[in-house]
Amino acid sequence: MASDPDDGGEMPPAEATSPAEAVSDPSAEAEAEVTAPEDEPVKASGGSVVPAAGAESSHPEGLSLNYEEARALLGRLEFQKGNVEVALRVFDGIDLQAAIQQFQPSLSDKTPSKKGRTKSELPSSVSQNNPASLVLEAIYLKSLSLQKLGKSTEAANQCKSVLDSVESIFQNGTPDIEQKLQETVNKSVELLPEAWKHAGSYQEALASYRRALLSPWNLDDECRTRIQKRYASFLLYSNIDWSPPSMAQQVEGCFVPKNNVEEALLLLMIVLRNWYQGKTHWDPSVMEHLTYALSLCGEPLVLAKQLEEVLPGIYPRTERWATLALCYYVAGQKDIALNFLRKSLNKLENPNDILALLLAAKICSKDHHISSEGVEYARRVIALAESSDSHLKSVGLHFLGTCLGNKSKVVSSDYQRSLLQTETLKSLTESISLNRYNADLIFDMGVEYAEQRNMNAALRCAKEFIEATGGSVSKGWRLLALVLSAQQRFLEAEVATDAALDETAKLDQGSLLRVKAKLKVAQSSPMEAVEAYRALLALVQAQKNSSASCKNAIEKAKALKSYSAATLHAEGYMHQARDQTKDALAAYVNAFSTELEHVPSKVAIGAMLSKQGPRFLPAARCFLSDALRVEPTNRMAWLYLGKVHRSDGRISDAADCFQAAVMLEESDPVESFSSLS
Amino acid sequence: MPNDAPPPIHSAKDALDALAGILGGALPGSVAAADDPVAALLSDPDVASAVTGRLRGSGSGAGNDSLCRWLYDAFRSNVPELQLAVLRFVPTLAGVYLCRAVSRKPLAGFEAVLLALYAHAAAQRGAGEAETVSLPNLANPSPYHDAKVPPKAKPAELDVAVLTPPLEPHGTVRATRRARIVGAVLQLYHGKLAHMPLSSKMDFCEFCVAWAGTHSKLDGADKQRLPPAPDAGGGAEKWRRVPLPWELFQPALQIVAHCLLGPTGSDELKAQAARAAECLYWRATETVDARAVLATRSLVRLSQMVEEPIPEPSFSGAIENMAELEAMRANILNSKN
Repeated sequence: MASDPDDGGEMPPAEATSPAEAVSDPSAEAEAEVTAPEDEPVKASGGSVVPAAGAESSHPEGLSLNYEEARALLGRLEFQKGNVEVALRVFDGIDLQAAIQQFQPSLSDKTPSKKGRTKSELPSSVSQNNPASLVLEAIYLKSLSLQKLGKSTEAANQCKSVLDSVESIFQNGTPDIEQKLQETVNKSVELLPEAWKHAGSYQEALASYRRALLSPWNLDDECRTRIQKRYASFLLYSNIDWSPPSMAQQVEGCFVPKNNVEEALLLLMIVLRNWYQGKTHWDPSVMEHLTYALSLCGEPLVLAKQLEEVLPGIYPRTERWATLALCYYVAGQKDIALNFLRKSLNKLENPNDILALLLAAKICSKDHHISSEGVEYARRVIALAESSDSHLKSVGLHFLGTCLGNKSKVVSSDYQRSLLQTETLKSLTESISLNRYNADLIFDMGVEYAEQRNMNAALRCAKEFIEATGGSVSKGWRLLALVLSAQQRFLEAEVATDAALDETAKLDQGSLLRVKAKLKVAQSSPMEAVEAYRALLALVQAQKNSSASCKNAIEKAKALKSYSAATLHAEGYMHQARDQTKDALAAYVNAFSTELEHVPSKVAIGAMLSKQGPRFLPAARCFLSDALRVEPTNRMAWLYLGKVHRSDGRISDAADCFQAAVMLEESDPVESFSSLS
Repeated sequence: MPNDAPPPIHSAKDALDALAGILGGALPGSVAAADDPVAALLSDPDVASAVTGRLRGSGSGAGNDSLCRWLYDAFRSNVPELQLAVLRFVPTLAGVYLCRAVSRKPLAGFEAVLLALYAHAAAQRGAGEAETVSLPNLANPSPYHDAKVPPKAKPAELDVAVLTPPLEPHGTVRATRRARIVGAVLQLYHGKLAHMPLSSKMDFCEFCVAWAGTHSKLDGADKQRLPPAPDAGGGAEKWRRVPLPWELFQPALQIVAHCLLGPTGSDELKAQAARAAECLYWRATETVDARAVLATRSLVRLSQMVEEPIPEPSFSGAIENMAELEAMRANILNSKN
């Protein structure tokens, strides 16, 4: 396509007519004759037109405007005017290979001027319209035209030929070449991977991206950054068959990426660093790509670090704080996250950021002590989302309900508690009316109903949750079993548990087996309970054997920690059984200093103290009342409190307490509902 | 399983014959006559719509579903092109399965195929290891940048992030592991996305929207009330929302990201993927799942950003030889003809 012998043959007669108008330069003529014996495009120079400008003749070989150059210039003109197809026709006649061979001596003669790579210092010996760079530019424009016309594969091939030629000319990398040529090189290097991508040849695209970034093309910073960004995006989203880059030399400690995500992350971080160093302009997409990739990998702290390093003035500070809060929350550092959110939601900053408010409400809903704060955030969301967005309003109501429920557990007066409980249910009901399919919401409602002893409603919610999740979440099954057991429907509870065990993978069955065992005990079938416990123990053993990685060990340690109050309580119980009162007391006190709201230990202390004698009754009463404040449905606490009242002589109070204990016994689940969350 | 077990599939030809039998009638001429019938199978729209239509139809996925049997055998035949052809149907398979599994219908056929795919995925990963990513630290030099490393220092320690957790073997699909199994199958599909035809990806985005169960703002306002009541009697089955724990959410998001930002070259797919990403975002905000919120929010923002184009070439400097060029122009242009 590039060379066309017929063309060359046709040219001379046509051109023979034109020199009549031209002013010929004797030195140029001589040169033309010298170069005549060479191959075919030079034949045309037999009658070539000599440019009037003297700039050309200062060049040592004085190449005049020959066939190749004419085509190049003409094509460029057409391209500038936007006649892409015409330009293409003109370009088609250029034979790159031959042109390069011809021009090679002229280009490689140049000595690299300085060590510094400053584009501004143009070697003045070479003119702007150096024929080699003209031809190369022409081929580049040809490939660009092909690309515009949608012929990506051909475009890519043409582009590749430009780069191959440049590489063959400048064997040791491109030194200070003239600006025009450098520009052509830059553009070709940038175009080639895109052309391959559009043509669908992803492996070629990968190779050409690497060639662009790893070979010494002397690209300017902006160009390099654009290529890096596109390459990172290509790596992250294209799902190509990746292979590692080949390294010329192995530098010690060099980071060689082992998969596409690593390579993409590396490039994105380099682009960010270039921005800090002022080499390129800010592009928000880089941070978004990084956020996406790092969230998928579950590495929020690295993301947080990158965000913190972004110079001030790029992001509004409240936006930065809110995103940082999200990162720290994913990393499990809730307090830091909440602090960021508090700063951001201050009325002087950005108090109406709904997402930040929701996150803050969520964090607060996990901790009883800050539930009031959570209530406030949730109310603000509801007020903001009132008219516009029922989806977000529903989420706000959900968190409001949860926070109110938590608050009701720590408040001291009964009146307030019942008020809050009503409010809780009201919020949750309204939330469900706006979004009937939110499974977590249904579950929370079920637990709330159960704790308020509205068993029928709780049952309904439990069943709906199981339906909504297809039985795939084990806490739903547990709720169902516990609610049934609270209604004394032990057989049905057992059926539910068995169904759940069918649906659950072996390793997740632990909590269900525990419930099953307790159900058996409640039905007074001790032998079967023993079976269930045995199965549970086997499971725990298997889990211990199988968990080898350190992450598991950390999780186990965490699990152990949360049970320390329970283990201390158990220890105290043992001591009590052996009548070692002092040790028992010590253990119980340790237990509830570990976990301030640990009710069983308080009840145990109260019980023990009540037996010690009249002097200790007020203290016993104090502990038991405290326990009841946290968990008003604890029937053992009522029982012991009744005993305390009776020992103190307050018979009617004692009777009330005993009655409460009896009523609760009739509606007690085998395991507390608070174990579900 | 039925008494008349279908013949085992050992080669592409067996597979095509069997499929023709199941679909009732010969395969379209374009597939049967193609040089590489299996590759044609991968991309042929008629066969694809016939198969997906069967998969979506009511009553599919039961234990004796012959189409499921075909998929299972074709995948187990270990012919790579056949495996790709089976993978092509993963979106529809997983989509219909998850939506129906929530109602706890018996779907042994689907489960068998999914378990076969899962076993392959686990085997590919090598003894169920986790897929990890080492986070680069710019203090260490790399092929793409130089870093000043003090001569005697050790390279900086690298954090390792877990991309996907290890896969344990599973013989049956228990409800609590359903998400994990389907997630692994989606990861497998994600690994081969470059070979998948456009319709397969469109199917996936459609199911993603259904799984999320939320409405995209792009659909128009006032659509924020609940999804229509299920089983409106007759008509197409309504695909309902499913529980989306992270092990399912993550691979789904990766596939949507490819559809949205990868070099797919289809604006329709991009639009569909943008809808899917937004629906997933609203789903993530329902429980304020911070990880999911961060990832989906970035995708939604990226979908609205335009990539920086390559700068157009600049033409500086006048051309000195305009007169001569004009004269030569006619010659050059004419000579080309």
